[in-house]
Amino acid sequence: MTHFKVYREDRWPHMFCPGCGIGTTMSCFQRAFVNQGIDLDKTAFVSGIGCSSRVSGYVYADSLHTTHGRGLAYATGLKLANRDLDVFVFTGDGDLGAIGGNHFIQACRRNMDLFVICVNNNNFGMTGGQASSTTLHGYTTSTTPGGNPEYPFDLARLAAAAGANYVARYTSAHPKQLIRVMEEGMNRKGFRFIEAWVACPVYFGRYNKLKTPVEHLEWLKENSVHIEQMKADGRTSEDDIDLHVAGKITVGVIRDAERKSYIESIEGDD
Amino acid sequence: MMGEELFLQGNRAVVEGALYAGCNFYAGYPICPSTEILEIMSTRMPETGGTLIQMEDELSSIAAVIGASWGGAKSMTATSGPGFSLMQENIGYAVITETPCVIVDVQRGGPSTGQPTLPAHGDIMQARWGTHGSHSIIALAPSNIKECYELTVEAFNLSEQFRTPVIILSDGELAHMRERIEITDMPIVNREQFPEGKVSFPVDPNEEGVSPFPTFGRGHRTHVTGLSHTIVGYPSEDTEVQGKLIDRIIGKIENNKDTICKYEIINPDAKHLLVAYGIPARSAKDVVLNREDFGLFRPLTVWPFPSKAFIRATEDVKSVLVVEMNEGQLFREVERHACRAGVENVGLCSKLDGEMPTPQDILESHADMEVDQ
Amino acid sequence: MKLIKREYCKGCQICVWVCPKTVYDEGSEFSDMGYLVPTVERYDDCIDHNRIKKGLKQACELCILSCPDQAIRDDLYGDE
Repeated sequence: MTHFKVYREDRWPHMFCPGCGIGTTMSCFQRAFVNQGIDLDKTAFVSGIGCSSRVSGYVYADSLHTTHGRGLAYATGLKLANRDLDVFVFTGDGDLGAIGGNHFIQACRRNMDLFVICVNNNNFGMTGGQASSTTLHGYTTSTTPGGNPEYPFDLARLAAAAGANYVARYTSAHPKQLIRVMEEGMNRKGFRFIEAWVACPVYFGRYNKLKTPVEHLEWLKENSVHIEQMKADGRTSEDDIDLHVAGKITVGVIRDAERKSYIESIEGDD
Repeated sequence: MMGEELFLQGNRAVVEGALYAGCNFYAGYPICPSTEILEIMSTRMPETGGTLIQMEDELSSIAAVIGASWGGAKSMTATSGPGFSLMQENIGYAVITETPCVIVDVQRGGPSTGQPTLPAHGDIMQARWGTHGSHSIIALAPSNIKECYELTVEAFNLSEQFRTPVIILSDGELAHMRERIEITDMPIVNREQFPEGKVSFPVDPNEEGVSPFPTFGRGHRTHVTGLSHTIVGYPSEDTEVQGKLIDRIIGKIENNKDTICKYEIINPDAKHLLVAYGIPARSAKDVVLNREDFGLFRPLTVWPFPSKAFIRATEDVKSVLVVEMNEGQLFREVERHACRAGVENVGLCSKLDGEMPTPQDILESHADMEVDQ
Repeated sequence: MKLIKREYCKGCQICVWVCPKTVYDEGSEFSDMGYLVPTVERYDDCIDHNRIKKGLKQACELCILSCPDQAIRDDLYGDE
């Protein structure tokens, strides 16, 4: 266990709320990262704005904490300018699915050589728990006091449909599985996308009867179904993007393809 | 290259200038009248070993340009009015993170979609104050094709020297006009970098207020943030930290105006002074060449405004007339300085319809001022 | 011995919930930040502890991974 070789320990304790799943996702990431033996000096972290985007400031490597939603665009430029760098992007559901939605699908479409971790807490945590593009239908937030009338994005399926090479989803109640898919993703090329549903007991949980971190984690665990199980049950993808009505959170590897990455395409055979 | 003669349109001259300066990353999105820059770059970049990417919009173009700069590239994007508006937030990010990069704004008529293929100078104030918060910026305005080339080289040099975004204010007329130019040797400036390895203070300013650049991938392990940050690079809410940071970022430009500012003065002893930049300066020059009583002050550096030189140029001047293709965006800056110099007659010759002001328009505006000849 | 770094712990109690061997109790003392810090009560039951005693690699680590605050260390693995 070498936690703090990867982190900037002078910044601990970090700013995340008690029980926040971002910390868990970060721990899983560092474990996968250490297991894969990636060189911190040849790694860069890029993030946008939001709680999860603050992770870039806690990782002891070159890190770019940028503007809201644009992390992927910054990362694209950085990766193309220095192709020896492993570029990791930490982002959240608001950053990636709402304000940065276009950059997200376009980067997937290009199959840009980036590793992206989206910490999905189903709301805008940094600004105090407003509805985001992944807030579940009918769930309460500070801007949907009567329940969310909109339907959420299924970010993992969106990434897969847009052409990302590797897409997987788990929750912060599945740390072992998260590490496994992260490690698998690190061995793929092109756009790698890991969506981690996490507990946000302080905002999302407070409005939705999941006040304690443990309650929130139990809710995540109970509502997760592995994609293979889903298929065995004969359910379609439409069933599971909407937790409130019928579905569950599909977890597992959503897509594992071998399409040429952007850099492979521009570099050609030479 | 030196002594080589080329017959180029403005947009191509910008590309060739950028490549001469060492530009090796370009990200852009098509928009009239800047599109040729993206098109020409898409063949020239691979030829010169650089990287080009056509992004999904202007927001991501400027973001990729800034990201590439942190990867060690000399990077550039080009756009026009509406796209320039979209870029503003990230230009502010380049300012606070002190990222060298060049943004070419080929101005067109506005507001909104306006006149996509006609020239205007409606973005002078947008270049200065478009992004939010207290800051300073460098913006250069070419008047001919040779300057499109040379000011692009200059823009890269200034952005590297002062670690700041630099804006080139071209326009629809210059973009598509063709002139013969002769290529001359120009110095190339490259950003000062930290030696490889860990840096304890990624923000370590010299006397000019500029810190070496901790390029990513060299083992510095720097944290870069758009939040107000300490010299260690960490976010801080401390008011003193913010005060010092902003003072320095503004100061490194405002205190180095003597190095940064470029201008041209013709007929310095004339009674009446014309102030013009960009394409209308050509009409102003025509007036000055035919009338001994008219002089011209032409800022090549629009921002920061060359105050000292301008105030010197107004000595014993009876009137100042600003010629602009907007409603008087630089006029207020000129008027402010003219007042300080004691010149009371300050007028504006303004064209807002997409046509260039002619020498006749300038003389008529001068006559309207009813100054004592 | 498993250690909970009091300066980092925010008292979320996830370790208490996640441990399959109920090694942790919720604790009774508040840290300087004002959080209730769990305590390590039944370390002999810890899966990893028993594996390491047998010369095997640790395999559980659910508490260490789940802790959102990176507050749990295990000195057996060379943590400080």
